[in-house]
Amino acid sequence: MNAPTLELAARASTVRLTDLRKRYRVGDDWAEALKGVSLTAAAGEMVALTGPSGSGKSTLLNLAGLIDTQDAGTREIAGRPVDGLDDAALTSLRREQVGFIFQGFNLVPVMNVADNVEYPLLLLGRAPAERRRKVAEILERTGLTGLAGRLPDALSGGQRQRVAIARALVKSPSLVIADEPTANLDSHTAQQIVDLLRELSHERGAAVVVATHDERMSAHCDRVLRLADGELVDAHGAPTGPAEEKQAKSELIAPHPLTPAPGRGRPTGSLSSTVTRDSATGTSSVKGERQ
Amino acid sequence: MKWILFAWKNVMRNKRRSLTAMLITAMGTAAVLIGGGFALFTYESLEEMTARDSGHVVLAAARGFDNDEDVPLQHGLSGAAALATHYATLPGVRAVAPRIQFSGLISNGDKSAVFIGSGVDPALDFRLRGPQLGFVAGEAPGPSDAVPEVAIGDELAKLMKAKVGGSLTLLATTTEGNLNAVDVIVRGIVRTGVPDIDRRLVMTDIRAVQRLLLTDKVGSLAIYLKDTAQTAAMAAQVKATHPELAVRTWGDLAVFYQAVRALYNRIFGILGLIMVVIVAFAMSNTLGMAVVERTREIGTLRAIGTQPGEVVRNFVLEGVAIGAAGAAIGMLAAGATTLALLFAGLEMPPPPGRSAGYPLLLAFSAPLYLGATLVVVALAAAAAWLVSRRAAHKPITEALAHV
Ligand SMILES: Nc1ncnc2c1ncn2[C@@H]1O[C@H](COP(=O)(O)OP(=O)(O)OP(=O)(O)O)[C@@H](O)[C@H]1O
Ligand SMILES: [Mg+2]
Repeated sequence: MNAPTLELAARASTVRLTDLRKRYRVGDDWAEALKGVSLTAAAGEMVALTGPSGSGKSTLLNLAGLIDTQDAGTREIAGRPVDGLDDAALTSLRREQVGFIFQGFNLVPVMNVADNVEYPLLLLGRAPAERRRKVAEILERTGLTGLAGRLPDALSGGQRQRVAIARALVKSPSLVIADEPTANLDSHTAQQIVDLLRELSHERGAAVVVATHDERMSAHCDRVLRLADGELVDAHGAPTGPAEEKQAKSELIAPHPLTPAPGRGRPTGSLSSTVTRDSATGTSSVKGERQ
Repeated sequence: MKWILFAWKNVMRNKRRSLTAMLITAMGTAAVLIGGGFALFTYESLEEMTARDSGHVVLAAARGFDNDEDVPLQHGLSGAAALATHYATLPGVRAVAPRIQFSGLISNGDKSAVFIGSGVDPALDFRLRGPQLGFVAGEAPGPSDAVPEVAIGDELAKLMKAKVGGSLTLLATTTEGNLNAVDVIVRGIVRTGVPDIDRRLVMTDIRAVQRLLLTDKVGSLAIYLKDTAQTAAMAAQVKATHPELAVRTWGDLAVFYQAVRALYNRIFGILGLIMVVIVAFAMSNTLGMAVVERTREIGTLRAIGTQPGEVVRNFVLEGVAIGAAGAAIGMLAAGATTLALLFAGLEMPPPPGRSAGYPLLLAFSAPLYLGATLVVVALAAAAAWLVSRRAAHKPITEALAHV
């Protein structure tokens, strides 16, 4: 659970998306879903993507999570460029580095809770003893120990999403992609889910990019990015220029985590963030401050 | 192990559908096994029947099988006794029976008919032919130094109005081309079940035939083996030691057996083919529905790092599970049927050209069971591969958007 500092440093910029463009064919026309969006997220950081329906949140998440390809722009995961990799290589990369949390939970209905959580480790070819240990550990951490033998059908929505969180994080990925993870939950449960996701990803040093409509959810994130019509916009809805995006990036890959975030005058979103490291536990966390 | 368990859980996901596919597979397997078992039993019976009749390996002098002799036994075998002794002492040989096939007229004084005669060693031959040469009346003729004894077909007996103990006359052309006659006593009346034979058959001591034909040659030597499977080896051995002799195996001589075999192979081959199509159809239908239903799940598994090949492998395992379960049920059903028939004592109607039916039994053949299972499992795997390949390679975002 205690990710070493060195590992965190290596993961400093877990995901770096630059000037991504994506359009879809709609009849004889093209719909531009992303018009040049850049985004970075650091280890342990939780970034919220908000914006109206159809603004391109899911499109951006799919690109970040390596399950779709862009028309233009570049992507890096854990310091490695991923564009040009074939499907098998991308799949391996997802297997090792990316966890997914879906709006509809997407658990495998014939597998019980423990088996669902174990699945990513099975894919990674981990030894049975290691699998058992890691599954037990994360079930404990997500409060699911007592439900290990249950099938997903016999769980509440909140419990299912906790299983999904456990499944996403059991392999300690660099990146977790969550598309509207709380949309199917009541607000109280949504709160708990966000807190759990945040804590676990901080502990395990995973960057989280989460798309949400939910203001209460984004308030719990380290940083909020707004998308409108395929572009990043500031709090007032004005498109942010390339300069600001670069600045926002430099904030995140700052070599010293204790350096305060610059550019407070015109932040990319409504939050700026600093990465702090708890020297006692060796874990790092990212704190957001409302401007 | 985990993967197999996962596959089995997925099979059980839609129990009714999987069960249907299993039962169709089971029925297909059972049909093939029962049909195949019946064909094999028939082959085995006919094999045994023909081998008992002709002997496993038959030797004659060169051209002895050509049927183009000018006078009887022109191509007969001399020195048969020495040859018989030689082969009778070889391991694996049950007996060596000398024979003469001859023909002529049989008469009861009032009327006469054509007969086809078989001169045999009475002490040996009736034992070798076993129960299939059924005596309707009387018993096997004995060795005859005085008045020769004969066994005749039941139809011929009817024609000649002959009873056991009655007297008949055989008229035949000798090896020198003259006519010769001998009076015989009817000792037994037999039925082979083939009316054409029963109308003409006369069996008697080979020495009586030799006296009638004025010869010391025999027509052929029939070597009976302990194990039918050794037939080819024995034939080869004979060809090597006595290259001057003509050699035939029971298979060469068994025209009826060959015809039945060709017919059944075709019938049951087509049956098998139909079953293959049905099983393949049931499998691809069942698995195809499963694939479509689980498109979103496939997208999920792909997203979290499952390779397309692994998705396909899971479906193949599912297919194999259904196929193997179906094959197992089918084997049990076929095995139970085989056993049940063993006790049921059912009789098949006489085949064409025969007057007697035969027992309805199924042969159990491990290679047949194994082969059927392999085919079913391979079919299931191929069907699974075929129907899941596309879905496994579908763009993940599309698969995830599937409802
Ligand atoms: N497969 C597709 N084919 C055509 N157009 C698409 C496709 N996927 C997305 N789009 C379009 O791209 C744009 C962005 O869609 P996207 O799903 O990323 O929006 P979103 O922000 O996730 O919306 P929501 O909040 O409703 O989930 C929309 O205009 C949408 O209609
Ligand atoms: Mg969306």
